Amino acid sequence: MKFEKKRAETKQEIPTSSMPDIIFMLLLFFMVATTLREQEIFVKFVLPEAEAVQKIENKRLVSYIWVGDNERIQIDDNIVQLKQIQKIMYDKRVVLPNVIVSLRVDKNSRMGLITDIQQRLRKADARRINYSARAKF
Amino acid sequence: MVTLKRRKREGGEFSAGSMADITFLLLLFFLVTTNIDVDTGIGLVLPEYVPPEERVDTPISPDRLVAILVNANGDVLLNKEIIAIPQISEILKEKIRSKINLPKKKKLIVSIKVDRETNYNLFMQTLDQVEIAFKEVREEYSLGTYGKKVKDLTDEEYKDVRAKVFKVVSFAEPEEVK
Repeated sequence: MKFEKKRAETKQEIPTSSMPDIIFMLLLFFMVATTLREQEIFVKFVLPEAEAVQKIENKRLVSYIWVGDNERIQIDDNIVQLKQIQKIMYDKRVVLPNVIVSLRVDKNSRMGLITDIQQRLRKADARRINYSARAKF
Repeated sequence: MVTLKRRKREGGEFSAGSMADITFLLLLFFLVTTNIDVDTGIGLVLPEYVPPEERVDTPISPDRLVAILVNANGDVLLNKEIIAIPQISEILKEKIRSKINLPKKKKLIVSIKVDRETNYNLFMQTLDQVEIAFKEVREEYSLGTYGKKVKDLTDEEYKDVRAKVFKVVSFAEPEEVK
């Protein structure tokens, strides 16, 4: 009797032709789910830590004010003076009425400066603020 | 005679093998240029700006008010008693709990006042303590009343929790220094 070797009829390769499609899907997911890092930061700061932090739910509403360790203030791509803040923020509020101002302040700043900034924000009527802090666990 | 041989048409293919690599590169580019880290922080709404001449002082009964003072050296005064920052949430929680069933006009007001030279980090720790106190009492109330955590509540239930454990944080109007 003759024994015949059984041979599998299916091919032993993984079809890779759909690989680009899968990766494109991944790519699209990342493009949709993330926002581009668009700003360069000129000031040096270390954020404080806090326990009861919340996430900012809508990132597109956020406008940042950075305050660095040498009390320099940055808005958008410029270092600004304290007295300019009111006008800049007022203009921002006109464009985006429900703007959230995120204060990214170095933890060794003096409160005097923060109070000054806050007073200007109040005058500009951009009153929704967020003290940026890292989550502490 | 020359026979015109029809050339056999080759299948119109291109090598798609490297396509995956190209898309991977694109993917990597997006991974690098985007920031996935979510912004976290303590959010609040500042009070409206009222010019000094239009300001009216509304008297507040002292049992509603918790006044927290932080001076330049980092000493904390809560209702005229010296305490340490991590104690704030415990003291506040008790006061908040006792006011759950009172009407909105009698809820607790937490006032934070700092010196111009106070360190920002200390202020954040203080504010954090206040936030923790309110958050934890809300969590307790939610579990006690609805048997759910705050994040699982429906909108209406959440509104009720927020109204019962009502958060008022006030910042003292900065004083003019000449």
